[in-house]
Amino acid sequence: MEIKMRHLFLMLYVSLAASVLAGILVYHLHLLHPHFWWEKLPVFSAIYGFIGCIIIIVASKALGHHWLQKEEDYYEKH
Amino acid sequence: MIEWLHPGLIFLLGALLIPVLKGKGRQVYLLLLPAVAFIDLILISKGVFGTGPFWQLSFMGYELTLGRVDRLSMVFAYVFVIASFCMTIYALHVSETGQHLAAFFYVGSTLGVVFAGDLFTLFFFWEVMAWSSMLLIWYRKTKAAYGAGFRFIMVHMFGGICLLAGVVLQLQATGSIAFESFEWGLGSEYLASYLIFLAFIINAAVPPLGAWLADAYPEATVTGAVFLTAFTTKSAIYVLIRGFPGVEVLIWLGAIMALYGVVFAVLENDIRRLLAYHIISQVGYMVCGVGMGVFGTAAGEMAINGAAAHAFCHILYKALLFMGMGAIIEVTGRSKLTELGGIYKYMPITFWLYMIGAFSISGFPLFNGFVSKTMVVTASAMWHYSIIWLMLEGASIGTFLHTGLKLPWGAWFARKEPVCEAREPPKNMLAAMGITAFLCTLLGVYPKILYNMLPYPVDYVPYAAGHVVAMSQLLLFTFVAFWLLKGMLHGTPTITLDTDWFYRIPGKRVIWFCEKPLMAFANYVDRNVMRMAGFFGNDFWPLVVTYVENPLDKAFHVRLPELLNFKEIHDKIKQIKDRELSYNLLYILLAMFVLLVYILFTVVVE
Repeated sequence: MEIKMRHLFLMLYVSLAASVLAGILVYHLHLLHPHFWWEKLPVFSAIYGFIGCIIIIVASKALGHHWLQKEEDYYEKH
Repeated sequence: MIEWLHPGLIFLLGALLIPVLKGKGRQVYLLLLPAVAFIDLILISKGVFGTGPFWQLSFMGYELTLGRVDRLSMVFAYVFVIASFCMTIYALHVSETGQHLAAFFYVGSTLGVVFAGDLFTLFFFWEVMAWSSMLLIWYRKTKAAYGAGFRFIMVHMFGGICLLAGVVLQLQATGSIAFESFEWGLGSEYLASYLIFLAFIINAAVPPLGAWLADAYPEATVTGAVFLTAFTTKSAIYVLIRGFPGVEVLIWLGAIMALYGVVFAVLENDIRRLLAYHIISQVGYMVCGVGMGVFGTAAGEMAINGAAAHAFCHILYKALLFMGMGAIIEVTGRSKLTELGGIYKYMPITFWLYMIGAFSISGFPLFNGFVSKTMVVTASAMWHYSIIWLMLEGASIGTFLHTGLKLPWGAWFARKEPVCEAREPPKNMLAAMGITAFLCTLLGVYPKILYNMLPYPVDYVPYAAGHVVAMSQLLLFTFVAFWLLKGMLHGTPTITLDTDWFYRIPGKRVIWFCEKPLMAFANYVDRNVMRMAGFFGNDFWPLVVTYVENPLDKAFHVRLPELLNFKEIHDKIKQIKDRELSYNLLYILLAMFVLLVYILFTVVVE
């Protein structure tokens, strides 16, 4: 199990690096047809994915914690 | 030439034979109906029956069209029939006749909506669709299911009344019941359009009117929920494309909807409710696409193609996802993330089939979500809607985060030891998942099949280097963020308030008002009526009979009406009070509905 997890993570690191390299490659080979300025940045999607994911989790959790999440019998009680 | 046959009618009439069949014969018959409908669709595509419209009949002086056949109706009809075949396999082990009947009526009426060429036909099938889908929820037979189904039908009846009112106003204004794209603008002269629009976006589950979806679908039966995922919302997308292409407000509603589903999915603990919020999110892309679909522009055609293509793909992968989670519920009886985990070793096949659905919905290259979702996103880029583009891409992140990571992680892994016994689901369920997963991959690898069906000619290359790299980066780095924060994503034993609060809590107050103060008042009135009856006493009535009734009878041959039998009245009132109030509400609603239909029709006829 331990070794398997290590292999999986190795695969992940390789694919992360590959996707970034591919991004740079695609940029230099002028294969992009950007509609917006940020699409020209070779690693824009990587950064957006990473930061976007953190924002989604933190913001939704905050919203739920302070407002929307209630105990399971809320509708029976109220 | 052979007469055209309505594919919906194959389901609607074919369903009537289900109760008389049993065992293997019934199972074969259940699969035969979608197969026949599929062959019918192929024959229609090939033009064997000629070109439409078909089945035009006269009703009360209006020309109804039951068979409008064009590229748009055909692409939706194809996916509905294909999906119904896969779903029927998934439900093959169910012995309860009623569930199959409800499902087939649901599919048949949806096809009725798709081929409806006029507004009366649309309204008729729209209502059959609502009622038959409600039954799929009620067949779960739990208290929660009855409640959710009841709220579901109330919302849809409201939508149905809006539709009918809109249709009647439209008819008065234009004198035509043809179902074409509606006039749109600001002002009271567009009231008919607004009402019809409202009915359509209620069925498309656009917030704040879409809470019924996440409220009701997770309470349905395991197999019923799989049917529910496909038809109501996607037929709403179809009618929106038909009636309101290029209406700008839809762009914003759609983009908000895509993110709205994502936010609620973070907070959900119920596995099928989480997926239900992702229906809302994915339908958001389609609604957005409809909004951008301005006639006669390249970007508009791309948007409409994108909306139709995404509906097609979405039906397949969402059914697959619901099948996977349904399998967990079927074998463990549990549906909450807090009560699941560690059961991967018991059901690896289900897990991997589910993951194909998860990769598809997330839009991984080589899976069908990628070839359709990127069309809508590209359309937003062609229109230069930068904020919309960012919102749609952001929703992609959330989609992978929940359906691809949080949900399978929480349900199958998350704990070292399994929380309960589990096993692979029955063979028919696995087979259904296998076929659906195959279709998801096939369309991802070879999108030309799908693109050839779309309403407009497709000039789009999904596997351009830029698209593939951007999507891979987006999803891989989403995984990194998930792995770092996965501690925050454990399920919590809570529910999440949605806009259904606005009718659940005040609704409860109304019922309390009816049951307590109103009934107290009624009792007070009853008592006094009874006391008056008692005042006359037992000695009084024989005297009435002797001195009033008998002479009346002799002179005019009449007797006092039965109505004066107070004891019977008292018993009747008591009986009514003993019944449950909520069911009486349903009858009252039904009666009001029928009355309304009657009144509106008399207005129109005059």
